[in-house]
Amino acid sequence: MPALDRHGVPPVARIPGPITFPGSMESARAVRADLFDPASLAALGRIEIIARWIVDGFMSGLHRSPRKGFSVEFAEYRPYQPGDDLRYIDWKIAARSDRWVVRQYEEETNLRASVVLDVSRSMAWSGAQMRIGPNAAPAERLTKLAYAERLTAALALLLLRQRDAVGLVRFDERIRSSIAPRARTGQWRRVVAALQEPGTGKASSAPAALHQAARLISRRGLIVLISDLLMDLPDVERAMRALRAAGHDVTVLHIMDPAERDLPSSGEALFVDPESDLTVPASIADVRLAYHNTVEEVIGEWRSMFGALGIGYEVVPTDAPFGVPLRRAFAARQQLP
Amino acid sequence: MSFLAPLYLLLAGAIAVPLVIHLMRRKVGVRVEFPAARYLARAEKEHSRTLRIRNLLLMLLRVVALLAIAVAAARPVARWVGSGHAPTAIAIVIDNSLSSSAVVNGRPVLDQFKSMARDVVSASASTDRLWLVTIDGRVRGGSASTLRDEINRLEPIAGAGDPAAALSRASGVVRGSGFDARQVALATDGQRSEWQHVPPIPNVQLVLYVPSIAPSPNHAVVLAEARPIRWTPRGAVAARFLSRDSTTYRITLNGRTFARGTAAPNEEVVVRASPPERGWVDGTVELEPDELPGDNVRHFATWIGPAPGVTISPSSGPFVKSAFDVLRTTERVVEGHDIAVVGADELSALPALITAPLDPVRIGAANRALERAGIPWRFGARRTGESTVRGAGFEGVTVAARYDLVAQAGATAETLAVVGRDAWVVAGPRYVLVGSPLTAEATGLPVRATFIPWLGSVLTERLVGEPGQVIEAQPGVQLPRPRWADAMETPEGGRTPLGDVVDVPPRAGTFFLLRGGRRVGAIVVNPPPEESILDRYSAAELADRLKSERTLVAPNASSWATMTFRAAARRSLIEPALIAALLMLIVEAIAIGARSRRVA
Repeated sequence: MPALDRHGVPPVARIPGPITFPGSMESARAVRADLFDPASLAALGRIEIIARWIVDGFMSGLHRSPRKGFSVEFAEYRPYQPGDDLRYIDWKIAARSDRWVVRQYEEETNLRASVVLDVSRSMAWSGAQMRIGPNAAPAERLTKLAYAERLTAALALLLLRQRDAVGLVRFDERIRSSIAPRARTGQWRRVVAALQEPGTGKASSAPAALHQAARLISRRGLIVLISDLLMDLPDVERAMRALRAAGHDVTVLHIMDPAERDLPSSGEALFVDPESDLTVPASIADVRLAYHNTVEEVIGEWRSMFGALGIGYEVVPTDAPFGVPLRRAFAARQQLP
Repeated sequence: MSFLAPLYLLLAGAIAVPLVIHLMRRKVGVRVEFPAARYLARAEKEHSRTLRIRNLLLMLLRVVALLAIAVAAARPVARWVGSGHAPTAIAIVIDNSLSSSAVVNGRPVLDQFKSMARDVVSASASTDRLWLVTIDGRVRGGSASTLRDEINRLEPIAGAGDPAAALSRASGVVRGSGFDARQVALATDGQRSEWQHVPPIPNVQLVLYVPSIAPSPNHAVVLAEARPIRWTPRGAVAARFLSRDSTTYRITLNGRTFARGTAAPNEEVVVRASPPERGWVDGTVELEPDELPGDNVRHFATWIGPAPGVTISPSSGPFVKSAFDVLRTTERVVEGHDIAVVGADELSALPALITAPLDPVRIGAANRALERAGIPWRFGARRTGESTVRGAGFEGVTVAARYDLVAQAGATAETLAVVGRDAWVVAGPRYVLVGSPLTAEATGLPVRATFIPWLGSVLTERLVGEPGQVIEAQPGVQLPRPRWADAMETPEGGRTPLGDVVDVPPRAGTFFLLRGGRRVGAIVVNPPPEESILDRYSAAELADRLKSERTLVAPNASSWATMTFRAAARRSLIEPALIAALLMLIVEAIAIGARSRRVA
């Protein structure tokens, strides 16, 4: 197996063929990168390239949608002020009433979004590391963090292309980096650069990160939490209540490695939580069913809690194409004014 | 249950593996980084009871599977279940007595027994040891093919055999085999007269088969006797028949029919004759054949010759003279000089019936005469007083006066009667010596009714011709060799030298005894009369009488061979043990697989 980089991405990955390079002329018609296998796609290039491919593919899919022309909708008039672009002066009103007003469009009421990314140590894990039984052949799979970073980059690019302001908060046991939402050119570069910074401390402290994200957004906005949610539910619930009380819309993308859901390997092992050092001895064959049921219960608890707070929630397996969570986050965006 | 290779039971120690894994599994195993360990801990906490039970069940399945494998390796054998059978020592006892030749449903019972025995032999394995024991007690061992040949050659014997000896020997050989699985398989017609006395057969299991269908009523010749043994030349044949109705019979002598008639049930028929044959001849009394042909013919033998000439000395007394006259009128004896009946003091030649002298003063002369005649006896002291005589044919005879008979060196005479501890009548080659004069004052013998037959027997059998006699014997028995015979002649004319013991042939017939090539007597072999009474024990009744470790009754002929190995021989449990192990592993795989499928 090839060595992985710090995000669990193999330097050279096999591409299940036949594949057309996503950037070519053919790609828009033949292959959409947002529907591509994440691990194979990640092997093709750096994070910003991958993110562009994802968003390009995603947007090309949207072009077939009747919901087009966002951000060019007329919103209201306001009095002209020096410095306003003369293109937006409504000349008909000026001719009729001799008042100088400027047409204000939807795009000018940009959404302020903040992506809150969990970079704790538990995120830097993939099921490919889990080899216990003799037949446990690891699948080539991104770590949860690598997957989440690419998803974050794509989501940020997508929002910026809609002229939304996008910020980023990375956290583990503390906030590692914080970028205030901006819609200007170069914001995405900053976001991508921040994603390259080291992280993966011990624990996950989502409440603090969520509060930080809320502080960064001065008015109602969208907060997207991307995390494996290996944290205490009441703490997260309190933070979420606060965000909702502040009028923010929240979407949670629950990143899960498939191995965390179904325990695919077999054998006896001491399972160690890398964050808390919790050690659980178990025979996978014996506990698989109980574990599966427990994970479903946990997901149900999260879904129930988020649902009660009006928060969008989606379980995102790391072997799912990036388009799946992207569509979920974009749908949340579309529901906002 | 026992084990043929118990050392392999040590493999059962392998059950420690799943036990240790079960008990220690939380202390072993590789460390695996797993962020969702909190879910795992919660799963174990919430499902701990289910997990514990399931783990315990899996552990038990694995332990049982390993135990079953270890047990299978130790080659278990047991009496209850399983396939095949463990090495077994089996003695097949076939009742080939005369009654087994009875034809039932168109087939002799013995043929059915032989077929059943062949089935047992066919069902045996190379590791078994087999013997065939017939009802006369003969034991034959060997390979399956050898025994099969022996079974095919098996014929009914002419008598009842010796069931007790047969069972004792059968149980003896299987007990001596050293095998753990020991069994006697007995097929018999359950004839009541045959199974009166049954020996205990400990430590052996018995599988019994008794036919349930009773034979037809039997008729048989139960008596055929020449009277007397020596015909002079007149004699008679006495016969009696077992039948429900009157039956017709035929009597032959030397192969010639000389009488036919009809007899009532249990009537004794006496046919007199004066045949022209001379010497020792054989004869038969026959009936029409029925379902049991073996007892429709009964053999006898007789000596035929001229009546001996007898000289009666006046010194022998008036009673002897009167008796002689009676014998003469019946042509048993004639006047002549072949035999003398004389007082000892007047003895001049042998053969002679010698009595004590009437006058005591003649004792000296009598002893001198005895010495001259080479008779190794002398008269001793005179005894008076009433005494009772003991001896065959002398019942109720008393003696008032007698002389002691003193044996001389080398005396080998046969004592025929005694008074107290003293010999009173002795017999030797060509003489019979009586210790009293045959007068009414000296002894009550002459005045008793038995005197004339006794005198006739002495004159016509003991003192005439050859010393031989007729010996009645049952088939297959052994007898001491008569001193007066050195060979035996079969009905087919073959001759067999005699050893110290005479093996009586197992078939009925007359077998002449020879001395120097001349016939001097005969062994007449006939089935015992009670063998013709075909009353049977039921299988259950006979099973009650047989004292074995465990007696199993086969309900029919076909199940006898099956039960022989299935019920008594301990069977191998290797296959059941392996099947059990396989089942345990399958159940374990299903249990684990079902969980995996539920998860999927």
